[in-house]
Amino acid sequence: MRAVIETDGLGKRYRRRWALTDCTLSVPAGHVVGLVGPNGAGKTTLLSLVTGLLAPDAGTIEVLGGTPGAGQAQLARVGFLAQDAPVYARLSVADHLKLGARLNPGWDAELARGRVDRLDLDPGQKAGTLSGGQRAQLALTLAVAKRPELLVLDEPVASLDPLARREFLADLMEAVAEHELSVVLSSHLVADLERVCDYLIVLVGSRVRVAGPVDELLAAHHLLTGPRRDPATLPDGLEVISASHTDVQTTLLARTSGPVLDPAWTVSEVALEDLVLAYMSQATGRRRRDHHHLEVQK
Amino acid sequence: MIWLTWRQFRVQALTAAAALAAFAILLAATGPHLASLYAASGITGCHGGTCGVAASDFLSRLAVTGPYPIVYLLGIGLILIAPAIVGIFWGAPLIARELETRTFTLAWNQSITRTRWLVVKLTLTGLAAMAVTEALSLIYAWWADPIGKAIGLLGLGNGSGHPWEGQFSSVVFATHGITPLGYAAFAFTLGTATGALIRRTVPAMAVTLVIFAAAQVAMPLGLRPHLIPPDRTIATIESAGLDFGNLTATVVPGQPGAWLISSGAINAAGQPVSDLPAACQAAFSGLKPTSPGACLESHGFREVITYEPASRYWPLQGIETGIFLALALALAGFCFWRLSRRRT
Repeated sequence: MRAVIETDGLGKRYRRRWALTDCTLSVPAGHVVGLVGPNGAGKTTLLSLVTGLLAPDAGTIEVLGGTPGAGQAQLARVGFLAQDAPVYARLSVADHLKLGARLNPGWDAELARGRVDRLDLDPGQKAGTLSGGQRAQLALTLAVAKRPELLVLDEPVASLDPLARREFLADLMEAVAEHELSVVLSSHLVADLERVCDYLIVLVGSRVRVAGPVDELLAAHHLLTGPRRDPATLPDGLEVISASHTDVQTTLLARTSGPVLDPAWTVSEVALEDLVLAYMSQATGRRRRDHHHLEVQK
Repeated sequence: MIWLTWRQFRVQALTAAAALAAFAILLAATGPHLASLYAASGITGCHGGTCGVAASDFLSRLAVTGPYPIVYLLGIGLILIAPAIVGIFWGAPLIARELETRTFTLAWNQSITRTRWLVVKLTLTGLAAMAVTEALSLIYAWWADPIGKAIGLLGLGNGSGHPWEGQFSSVVFATHGITPLGYAAFAFTLGTATGALIRRTVPAMAVTLVIFAAAQVAMPLGLRPHLIPPDRTIATIESAGLDFGNLTATVVPGQPGAWLISSGAINAAGQPVSDLPAACQAAFSGLKPTSPGACLESHGFREVITYEPASRYWPLQGIETGIFLALALALAGFCFWRLSRRRT
């Protein structure tokens, strides 16, 4: 299948600090991709590179086979909903739809009008007076009605209350199913994405920690519980992501290449949230150790 | 994109149109009477020496008649600050507000490149800025035409017969002709570029005002006298209309309407002098029958004058406007560079 996002060694630097480092990804089309990571991990930077708002400082990126942001045709193929869904406060809902119609050759006026009716948005209302949920819906309408092939959403539900959050995601999934969109959406909460994503990218500390289809990730990771033992004595083919110990017991979250045959271990499935958290804490744990190491050197 | 530009700009555009209309009404209400005063002054159809007298009478009567001095100064002030207002309220927010409210993520993710977005915004708003400022200048020039003619008859280039000023005076030169076009384009792109650099609207407005005001002062004081190398002449004390207080000339002999840039007295040996010779002190105190001028001339004093002849009015207008238009283009180029994808 064709890749919607293909990056190789992608990096972006703000002055001295690298916000994204050595990012190599190949995301196939037709997925709803969840981009997860703590605040400041580089999610917005990666999405800005995908939409072409930013140009990379290292490596390459191709989106739908083209250079992001290069020219009108490429811009028409990617829809973007930025964090907090910025809209023009002094323009009305109807003005925003007109803006979309004027600036997008592929504009689907019927779709836009239908969505605004269905969502009960008053066309004459100034966008500045909309609630957070309504504003996100309006911005999503703009992004969907330009009929993109790829829809990119940066923390679309972060500022919404739980009910608006659920409605927004349900509405998004409806649009995705109807128009066969590929979607990338980011969040710092796995719970938001769990219900809608079938592909996951975990980004921590400006680096991609793990990426892949959700079912494959779940099939490849297991929770192992057994008598306490030194992690160094583990068999080959087990990559420990996180380990916790009590006096008598060891619990591992590990990536396994084949079935675990050692009868000493009780093998159970791992929840997506636990998997993501394990990768996140692995990264922060490593960073803490590096930090400690530096202090010792001093 | 033209629609979006208009939609975002229309409040400012209508405000400017209203201000322009109010100014036009004020001038239309007072202009015909001013023209009739001029017609009745006897300037039209005057001959030789009577012209200067008629013009002088007209101007001094006008200076104490009705609203004319106020409207005259108000008009000049308005045309001077119009570019600053345009730079602050049209230029500075153009990019800064989009960055500040993050709406650029919306604008630049429509099917339109940000280069085109900026081309349309800069062109339409910039042309509107130039048009409004030049329109102010043109209707004002129509209103002030009788005053300008009378000043011309007096041969005043940059001299002043209060409150009326000659065509080369700093404020009149910058508010007439084509220079308002240059000032407007410069102020507008200065605001836009400052906004793109600072990325915050209010600080960008403040910086725009400071830089533009500095440019408005620096041009007449520092730069304009050097745009075309001035001519130099040596004149007699009497013909230069010497101001005995500081030994400077008040007119350029044989050059009506010329811009007198600098002047100073020299003695018989050709050396610059700043003090009166002792021999002429008596003439100044009125103890000797000879006039001070005659005394200075009998001692070989002359006046050195640098000036721009009146015929250089339009070349100077063209150069000054060209400088500001070139600066405007450079600032617009900076905006494109600043907005390139590598830097936002």
